[in-house]
Order: sequence, then C-alpha cells, then structure tokens
Amino acid sequence: MAKAFRASAGIMLAPAVTLIGVFVLLPMLLTVWLSLQDWSTQTPFSGASFVGLGNFREIFGPTSVGRDFKTALLNTAIYTALSVALILPLSVVFGLLVHQREVAGGTLLRTVLFSTYMVPMIAVALVWSKLYSPSEGPLNQLLGLAGIGPQPWLSSPRSALISIVLLNVWQQVGYFTVLAIAGLTQIPGSLYEAATLDGANGREQFRFITLPLLRRTLLFSAVIAIINAVQVFEPVALITQGGPVGSTNVLTYHIRRVGIERAQGGLGSAMAVMLMLSLIVCVSALFAFVNRKDGE
Amino acid sequence: MSAITRSLTRKRPSGRKALLATAMLLVAVASAFPLAWMVLSSLKTPGETMQVPPVWLPHTPTLQAYEKVAGVINLGRSMWNSLVIASVTTAGILVTSMMAGYAFAKYSFPGRSLLFSLLIATMFLPPIVTLIPLYRMVGSIGLNASLAGIIVPNLANAFGIFLMRQFIASVPDELIDAARMDGASELLILFKIVAPSVAPAIAALALFAFVYHWNSYLWPLTVLQGNADAYPIVISLSRLLSYNRGAINTGLVMAGATLAVLPPLVLFVFLQRFFVDSIVGSAIKG
Repeated sequence: MAKAFRASAGIMLAPAVTLIGVFVLLPMLLTVWLSLQDWSTQTPFSGASFVGLGNFREIFGPTSVGRDFKTALLNTAIYTALSVALILPLSVVFGLLVHQREVAGGTLLRTVLFSTYMVPMIAVALVWSKLYSPSEGPLNQLLGLAGIGPQPWLSSPRSALISIVLLNVWQQVGYFTVLAIAGLTQIPGSLYEAATLDGANGREQFRFITLPLLRRTLLFSAVIAIINAVQVFEPVALITQGGPVGSTNVLTYHIRRVGIERAQGGLGSAMAVMLMLSLIVCVSALFAFVNRKDGE
Repeated sequence: MSAITRSLTRKRPSGRKALLATAMLLVAVASAFPLAWMVLSSLKTPGETMQVPPVWLPHTPTLQAYEKVAGVINLGRSMWNSLVIASVTTAGILVTSMMAGYAFAKYSFPGRSLLFSLLIATMFLPPIVTLIPLYRMVGSIGLNASLAGIIVPNLANAFGIFLMRQFIASVPDELIDAARMDGASELLILFKIVAPSVAPAIAALALFAFVYHWNSYLWPLTVLQGNADAYPIVISLSRLLSYNRGAINTGLVMAGATLAVLPPLVLFVFLQRFFVDSIVGSAIKG
C-alpha cells in the first residue's frame, strides 16, 4: 500500500504544512536571524546588517532600552507566576465543586465558569476598567460593604499589575476548571472507597489520592497557563499603556511597541528570542520537576 | 469523590450540603457578576453611570447607549468584518486540519512522527514571537491593511491538526478500506466517510476556531495599520473607550462590549457540549 498512499499523504499534508511552514516556522526562523541584525521594520529584510550579539547586549545593557526590557521581563515573570499560582489551586477547588454529586447544579456552575472564556479579551478589559473605577466602580463599593477602604486598582504602580492578573484569572479559570474536571473524572472511585475503609479522612484522601493523581493534569494546565500568561496584551494596550510608571509594561506589549511601532525590528526580535528561550527553560524545568516527583 | 469538601465538614451531612451549596453559589455569582454588570450598565442613562456611589440597577432601562454606539463606530461594517474573518478562517482551518489529521492518523510515511512533532511544537509558540517578521512578510506580499492579511496566515493551525488526528485515528480502518475497494478517491473518503463519523470533533473545532478568531485582537490591530474600513468589532470596540474615557461614556462602552460578546457567548450556550468534550478529549488523549 505504501507507494500509492505516499502521494496521497503529500496531497493531504501540503496545504497545512505549507501554511504553517510559511506563516509560523519561517517567521520564527526569521525572528532568530533578525535578532542578530540591525534592521528597521519599515525596510525589506535585505536591508538588515549583521551585528552579532549587539542587540542582546543592548537589551540587557544600562541604557533606557535595557532598563525598559528588563522591567518588561520582570513584569511578565511576576504576572505569569501570580496567574499560575492563582489559576491552578482555584481550578482544582472549582473542579471539585462541579465534580461532586451531593449538591445539584455542578453542570450549571461549569457553564457559568466556562462562559467567561468565550468573552473577547478586549471586552473583558473594557468591563473591568469600569469595575475597577475608584469612584463609580462597583468593586470599591463592595469592598466598602466589607469594611475595606477604597483601592487604587489600575491607577497605582503598586496594584496595577495584580489588577490585570485578577481580570485574567477571572476570564481563564473556567477553562482550567474543565481541565481539572477531566483529571478528576480519571481517578477511580474505588481508590476513595478503599481509603475510606482504611479510615482516611477527607483531607488525607485529597492529599494522598486526589493531588498525586492530578499531577499530570496540573502539569498540562501549568504549561498552558504560562503560555497564555505571556500573551497578555489587550488590557495593557487598552487601559494602562504599560503604566503607571512601567508597572504593567509586559513583554508582548513591549515587543510590539519596539518592533512594530518604533520599527526597531532587530531589537524587538532579540526580545522575542529571549521570551522564547525563557519559555523553553520554564517549561523544561517544570517537566523535570514533575518527572523527578514521579520517580520518587 | 470530593475530598476537599468532605474535609470541610465531617459532622452533619445537612450542614455540609449547605456549605457546598453556598460555595457553589458564591463562585457562580463572582463569575457571572462582571458580565451582568456590563449588561446592566449598557441600559443605564449617562447620568446613572456617573453617579457616586454607583447605582446597581438602571432606574428606567434605556437602549440609548446602543443607538449611540452605531453613531460612534461603524457597527454594521465591524460586525460584518468580524463575521467574514471568523467564518473564512474557520472554514480554512477545518479543511486543512481534516486533511492533515487524516494523513497523520491513517497513512504511514517516512518522517511522519518528526513532522508531527514539529507542527505540534508551533502550538506552544506565543504569536508575539513571530509578529515582527510576519508583519513585514504580509506587507511585502501586499496583504497588509486588508481582511485577507488577517485571514491568510491563520488558515492552518497545529491545534486543529492535533484534534483531528486524535479523533480520526479512532475511525475503523475497515470503513476506509471498504470505500477504497469501491474505488473512492482519498479526498472523497475523507469528506464523505471519515468526516461524518467525527462530526462532533469537527463541530468543536469549528466553534473553537470561530470564537478564537472573532475575539482575536493583536494580529488584526497590527496588520490593519489603522484601515478603519476593515476593523473587526473588537478593534472598533477599543475605539469606543478612546472616544471618551470619562464615566459619562460608560453606558456606550458597555453597550458596545455587550454586542461584541453576544455572538461567541450565544454559540457557546447552544453548543457548549462540544467545547467541553473536545477540551477534555485533547487533555486526556494528549
């Protein structure tokens, strides 16, 4: 069968492989190549001139280019860490609430939670910018009812980034809850029955059965959450423009500003390469960590 | 089953149930609140949206804000652009993903697993990494500032190929072989025999792709370079905020947001079964 189908395989693969090759893999290689060039985004690729690691020295250097990039890298790291640290535990708790069979309404709760994932991020940003409004916004009003004073939210450099993390968590947690439910469904009920017979209480069952068996699901969730988090763009572009005082200047926003708006294609590409390398390191470390735990 | 909730109260089952129900209600309310507030605010008068402390319910609900949205942005044109972008991109993704998914699931050829891994790796690539050269490339083939420039680079993606391969692999070989005996071509087999038996997965992929590309912002914003005629609704929406940042404008912004949110949300409500199944499917099988 092999020969005839080899031609068919070529035909079947051609559209997808060509499109992904031209519009994803080629630009990815170009990003790496451009990171070593002095190049203005307004000129053809042929206008690039080789500068070795000059762009990398500049983005890590002491000038304003370096300061801005390092701030954006740090902001992205904080943003990503906070997002993952909030989304993963919440997804497990919400997943348990949907998965339990003692109180009805789990499926409805899942629908409500997941529906936020369908909302365009630009609309999320618009709505939350009004929710966060210090005077007319309902959030400070609600905090007031709980006896907590008004918060500056997006207008203070100390709270702006975490405010954007919170709106991101609100939008995405439903998706990760569905992943957690998928993981919970895989755990055989007989394990809990056996544990109950052995006298294990709920807390022990969660710690010694649920969490260990969710490890693979949580690894998958963590990887997706990290990759989603570094893509945050709309709330920053729309509401804060990276401010106040650079506190929400994250990489996707910063790379686009440098590489497209300021047309410094070489510098922007070097930043994109650093983002890619950081992601590879993070995800590999995560896999290594989970695999080592598996070996224990 | 629910170990954490079991650990919360081990005393009386009724107290435990009340606690569970309260927790579920709180989570649902917190989750639904921003969208509920969006719709309520879109029905308020400018006077009401400016009030301190905020009014929760519009006193006399009015559609004024919706009428005004159409005056500030070209609403019909933007919705149409979004529909074109999302539908054409989705159609392209379906065709390319089914073809490639079929090849990866049902043919053996040299380099199959290597090629598959290479394609799947692109699934984890944040779009910003390729944005700068892609912007230049699309410009140099003359597609910038047009709908085609938004659509063409997105006509195939790794997630679609992955999903289709997973589901097509479970279609029995006997079914395909029987059709081959009858002399059917491979493309005919794919679209007439294989596609119907993975219809739920195709529906899921279609919905995912449609919602993703309806919502997509970074690439259209970059490639359109301010060509307002081609703006999808999400970009027009961002201009509502810059029109007037004050609270007097809140009703207008919320009305625009409600309109942009409706199509993906309505699709989801009716077809959520497919969404959820395919996420679960891709997570478990992955």
